[in-house]
Amino acid sequence: MASASMRQFKAMLRKDVVMELRTKEMLMSMGLYSLLTMVVYFVALSQAGAGFDPRDIAAGLLWLAFIFTSMLGLNRSLVHEKDQGCLEALLLSPVDRPVIYFAKVTGNLLFLLIVEALTIPVFAFLFLQGETIDLRTMALIPLVLVAGSIGIAGVGTLLATMSVNTSGKDFVLAMLFIPLIYPLLLGAVMATGAAIVGTPEALGVFWTGMAWVIGYDVIMLLASYGLYEFIVGA
Amino acid sequence: MKSSVIRALIALVVGGALTLAAFLGAFFWAGVPDFGFVRTAQQTDSVRYQGPFVQDVDEARYLRNFVGYEADITADGTLTEGRITEASEDGVTLETDAGDVTIAAADFDSAQVHGSTYGRPDWGQKIFYFHVPVAEISFIVFGFAAFYSIRFIMTRRREYDTKARVSMEVTLLFVMFTMATGILWTRAAWGVWWMWEPRLTTYFIMTLLVIGYFVLRNAVEDEERRALYAAAFGILAFIDAPISFFITRLIPSNHPVIERGGLEPPMLATFIIAQIGMILLGYAIYQLRMGEVLLRDRIEHAKTLLER
Amino acid sequence: MGDEPQTTALEVRELTRAFGVRRALDGVSFELPPYAFLSIFGPNGAGKTTLVKVLTTLLNPTSGNAKVLGLDVVADAVEMRKRIGLISHNPLLYPDLTAEENLRFFSEMYDVPDARGRVAELLEAVELDHRRLDLTRTFSRGMLQRLSIARALLHRPEVIFLDEPYSGLDPHAMDILDGLIAQIRHEHTFVMISHDLDKGLELCSHALILARGRIVMYEPREAIDDAAFRETYRSTVGMGVA
Repeated sequence: MASASMRQFKAMLRKDVVMELRTKEMLMSMGLYSLLTMVVYFVALSQAGAGFDPRDIAAGLLWLAFIFTSMLGLNRSLVHEKDQGCLEALLLSPVDRPVIYFAKVTGNLLFLLIVEALTIPVFAFLFLQGETIDLRTMALIPLVLVAGSIGIAGVGTLLATMSVNTSGKDFVLAMLFIPLIYPLLLGAVMATGAAIVGTPEALGVFWTGMAWVIGYDVIMLLASYGLYEFIVGA
Repeated sequence: MKSSVIRALIALVVGGALTLAAFLGAFFWAGVPDFGFVRTAQQTDSVRYQGPFVQDVDEARYLRNFVGYEADITADGTLTEGRITEASEDGVTLETDAGDVTIAAADFDSAQVHGSTYGRPDWGQKIFYFHVPVAEISFIVFGFAAFYSIRFIMTRRREYDTKARVSMEVTLLFVMFTMATGILWTRAAWGVWWMWEPRLTTYFIMTLLVIGYFVLRNAVEDEERRALYAAAFGILAFIDAPISFFITRLIPSNHPVIERGGLEPPMLATFIIAQIGMILLGYAIYQLRMGEVLLRDRIEHAKTLLER
Repeated sequence: MGDEPQTTALEVRELTRAFGVRRALDGVSFELPPYAFLSIFGPNGAGKTTLVKVLTTLLNPTSGNAKVLGLDVVADAVEMRKRIGLISHNPLLYPDLTAEENLRFFSEMYDVPDARGRVAELLEAVELDHRRLDLTRTFSRGMLQRLSIARALLHRPEVIFLDEPYSGLDPHAMDILDGLIAQIRHEHTFVMISHDLDKGLELCSHALILARGRIVMYEPREAIDDAAFRETYRSTVGMGVA
């Protein structure tokens, strides 16, 4: 049984990757969207004085970009399933519902991480040039990215499964997603900010933030996993 | 009339009377609760306070706010005790047992100001008697909404969806009350309408979650699907709220906290009366709204039967 | 379990599907022998789709029960899904996968033995082997529907559900669909939802009219007087939604 689920999981993940590589719809839209955010950031910061240190708000800006691009991607990924009733076909096949959930979460996580990994160097190039950055603590950032993105993909996939069936998909997703993801966001910004600042005291803050993000992941993923079965069949 | 409606009306009358009693008690009987004091300069400007308190002041100019108060001032390493008669940017004059003493701002080290009965009573603080019960009830009703959501997911019976929805409506009402009273107090005590302060922030998030619940409900066409989605979101929101609450505490807070045993008997009595009154009001609102919704359902049902 | 001869393909007992006072299905009971072809007629909102969703395990009944091939729709859902197929008016295919990839994907989901051979065989049967490497996005409505049939047959289901399969098809595509159904007609049990009275009566061995979640009429084909049947059907259409 477990091997059957594993095979179905892989098939679903492969299908999502093949479709994405073919259309590049999610990656392109998310990537370009995050570039656009950078322009908006520049405008927002254009009036900041000379004493302004972009490192103080870099973490916040990064996660802001991640949150908004992820909502774009989440919506897309579920619209694919909904469009021609494919989700119904999946539900008709002898597959356990959690397998569908974890396959969708993994796919979304993958694309999210790719976009995030591309956004960070661009952000650093545009906003952090000439600032002193401790590369050793910066190396901790991937940890936050993975932990934070797991929560975003986990909660977001469940919410997007609901919001694709509503009128006004994007707005509903945002209205549900942002308040719900708020604790994770706070922890992730805390940890990322600490990694960018990079002082020895900041390291303690980093792990506090990480602990929150991981705790959130565990609780919310379990809850989403438990609720998905009821949602997807509705 | 149905017994639930009668119970609701009784609760409404008793709850209303108790709330009114608490209102009178708060203004004419109980004093101002002694909870946390403000620290920053901006906040010190708006301090008007009556009752026993001790306030540390670390800059001479803030003493302007405490003319008429008893103070122990340390200047140049010596302690002077007396009542402040005059204070300005340059220094402060104290009336002591040994006559007036003037201390220059340059010599000033620190001061401890003791509150006396001279100040104006701070009516703003009295909002405590309403703000806190309302906030507590909003959490309780939110819990009920989550409980009924779980029941609904388990049984798929429509009555639980209705109960969850009505509970959430009552939550929204109380959340709005809490926000309104909170914002008034924030303005009175801190001199600003809003501050991104942990409790306020968390509460704001909770408000958004409750609003999100209704946005979701309105966006789903199919009745059963709407009920399932709403229940799932209600449960998630209820799990999320405490996480938000605790993580936001990592940001340093100004929000007052009542210390154990910090309320004098008249205050405690007023507070408890207010609390019971509002719980009854909350129950009455829930039951009346529930009765209305059920009546609507019966009308709908009768309509479909007639069409048959 | 599949070896014993089934006396019934469908066995529906007092099936009710309700939410509050609204009943999409209200005490539906009937039986269908194996290898029969059931056509379900009824006005919009009569509960046809709900009935098929319950029978295909997509919805759980509120009360009563239903058995397909002797398997309970709730308790044996996973086992049952392996033995039923659905052809809907929606193609249920991924537009950004090729015809072959779509079939290969679904054969993974059903764990079809010798998937490669089975996919090739089916593509040939629905006359799409020349387009097997094209994205289904580029397919016409008729081609999509043929591929959709191939998808539904992948795992050799014993009961095939058809949800208005003819809607939106041009006459040529209809002919092909007719031909395909005729080919497999006697090896499978069919349950079809139809708005098209002529088509439904032509194909069926049993006919069922549903209105407001209840069975108005359920007869084997040979017991049906066409004119009377049409009259009964027409009278239900005015009855509106339950």
